[in-house]
Amino acid sequence: MAKTDPKKNFLVEIKGVTKTYFPRKQFFARHQNKVLALNGIDLCIETGEIFGLVGQSGSGKTTTGRLLVRLEHPTAGHILFNKVPISGLKGPELKKFRSRAQMIFQDPYQSLNPHLSIAETVMEPLVVQKIGTPETRSEKVIHTLETVGLSPGKAFYNRYPHQLSGGQRQRVAIARAVVVEPEFIVADEPTSMLDATIAIQLFKLLREIKETFGMTFLFITHNLAAARYLCDRIAVIHEGHIVEINTAEKIIRNPEHPYTKKLIKVQPGFKYGR
Amino acid sequence: MTLLSVKNLSIGYKTKKGLLKAVDNISFDLEKGLPLGFVGESGCGKTTIGMALMGLLPENAVILEGSIQFQGEDLVRLTEKQWRKVRGAKIAMIFQAAMNALNPVHRVDEQIKEAIITHQPDMSDADLSDRLNALFDLVDIPVARMKDYPHEYSGGMKQRVIIAMALACDPDLIIADEPTTALDVIVQDQILKEIRKVQQKIRTGLIFISHDIAVVASVCDRICVMYAGQIVETGTKKEVFTSPRHPYTLSLLGSYLSLDNLDDIVIPDMQEPPDLLSDIGSCRFADNCRVCSETCKKEEPGWVQISATHKAFCCEPQIIRGSHGKN
Ligand SMILES: Nc1ncnc2c1ncn2[C@@H]1O[C@H](COP(=O)(O)OP(=O)(O)OP(=O)(O)O)[C@@H](O)[C@H]1O
Ligand SMILES: Nc1ncnc2c1ncn2[C@@H]1O[C@H](COP(=O)(O)OP(=O)(O)OP(=O)(O)O)[C@@H](O)[C@H]1O
Ligand code: SF4
Ligand SMILES: [Mg+2]
Ligand SMILES: [Mg+2]
Repeated sequence: MAKTDPKKNFLVEIKGVTKTYFPRKQFFARHQNKVLALNGIDLCIETGEIFGLVGQSGSGKTTTGRLLVRLEHPTAGHILFNKVPISGLKGPELKKFRSRAQMIFQDPYQSLNPHLSIAETVMEPLVVQKIGTPETRSEKVIHTLETVGLSPGKAFYNRYPHQLSGGQRQRVAIARAVVVEPEFIVADEPTSMLDATIAIQLFKLLREIKETFGMTFLFITHNLAAARYLCDRIAVIHEGHIVEINTAEKIIRNPEHPYTKKLIKVQPGFKYGR
Repeated sequence: MTLLSVKNLSIGYKTKKGLLKAVDNISFDLEKGLPLGFVGESGCGKTTIGMALMGLLPENAVILEGSIQFQGEDLVRLTEKQWRKVRGAKIAMIFQAAMNALNPVHRVDEQIKEAIITHQPDMSDADLSDRLNALFDLVDIPVARMKDYPHEYSGGMKQRVIIAMALACDPDLIIADEPTTALDVIVQDQILKEIRKVQQKIRTGLIFISHDIAVVASVCDRICVMYAGQIVETGTKKEVFTSPRHPYTLSLLGSYLSLDNLDDIVIPDMQEPPDLLSDIGSCRFADNCRVCSETCKKEEPGWVQISATHKAFCCEPQIIRGSHGKN
């Protein structure tokens, strides 16, 4: 099993993580409502891989992502980043972690603050992390914009999100995540709103970033075809349980769990050509 | 029977930098029982068309020319008072990203109830509760979660609520703007089946907007492919998929990831479409087209008819008619 292989270099390890939400109690309800978003999951992500987390809506994908970048805490279990439990991080350690693990959110229309210019959006993490001086920061921002395909960077610098297309907005969100040169990025459904020609270009970009910076990715999606295209390994999550983990190729070619088979069956597609 | 007939519709937005022509000279007919799909990239004008059909264009929008014939009336000429009898009751829309607009302080079932009562104020409490249960059932939300607040739902569940709301009032024409974009494949599959079923059962007219061409194909018989404010190809599903002609349609199909085509996927190196603020007067796809000629950069394309139902908008009829095959 990959999980216990001592030779493997794991950047992220999730051990027995459970996350329970307690939505507001309804006045007349007899029982406290309880949502078990994650039910004891185990998952390890190797340094330098793109790991896919695939599952249906409500299966716990975003919750996993949020826990990994410590936007929330697990109800039970541990998350290790570089072998260190992230729940114990405080002060400067926590700040350092925040720059090392970034998240790109699901919806490009929601994830960018409409009142911030592109420059302000991408610069913000540098300011928060106190990285660089005002001059080096703006150089860094322009350079990062160009890295993500928004060239020339200067032309985008003073624009606002509403002046950009959906694909460009997602590139800005990617720039914001990579500007602090993190080791780990959670990309939550980054292309579900975009057409095929744009989505495939963004996938290409994520691969380039992975190669240039050696970053590790958790790619969250319900699109198995996208996951297979982009990922080294894939975990299938169903109702808060990981039901299958394998290489991308094996998940698609020889799915073992009935739920994975079902996912494959409903994958949209068409026979192109004559 | 033609339910809706749009002729030469052009719509602009007044912006600080001038008029942005979001929809440029678009014509199409919607036949009852033959769902029509619009597909194209972000910003190509899909929502603008939907909003025009709902009489809900924003303040800064102007209909520059054209007509929208629906049940004997030109919708372009309706007053706001007349619109109120059409909107919601005869034409309903599933709005893009509407799930983010659910009211956070009201329980989900209350919000759907509201949508029903607005159009059927006389419904009895018993009927209302039956209808509510049927709608939740239809979109697969467990009854136990009916009384939750929207923030307690996942993204997909919220979108299912929005779909239930649009179906609540039994309209003649439904405009579905990216109704499954936020949904996972399993729920998407269920919802698409549901939409097809409802559509066939009540034979309502359906305009289905999506950036995902496979999704459009699973629901629609007729397809319009849009690029930068114009329709560039239209035909039956079969024509567009088995014999795509416009170079943009070809890259759209050629870059679509599915489980069985990973090896021959084509990654286009696409420029952004031209700025819609300026008068273009030539082919909008020219910068991205592999077969672009000198004519394309000088002249506005024209329609090249391929069959009675299939045509493409291009300066190069011989390229369109000849088979230039896969990308
Ligand atoms: N803040 C919260 N309060 C209560 N329940 C929540 C909260 N956030 C998530 N949940 C619940 O946890 C479960 C998992 O949600 P999560 O957002 O992780 O799903 P997901 O896999 O990302 O789904 P989607 O594909 O729709 O984005 C769902 O049942 C959801 O309703
Ligand atoms: N209120 C507005 N004011 C100015 N420009 C607008 C307005 N609404 C839309 N636009 C512009 O009009 C064009 C068409 O927008 P529209 O929303 O119709 O596209 P769409 O095809 O629905 O895109 P998406 O897939 O992103 O939803 C875009 O260039 C957009 O920026
Ligand atoms: S008009 Fe010319 S540039 Fe435009 S799609 Fe046709 S061949 Fe390509
Ligand atoms: Mg999610
Ligand atoms: Mg839209």
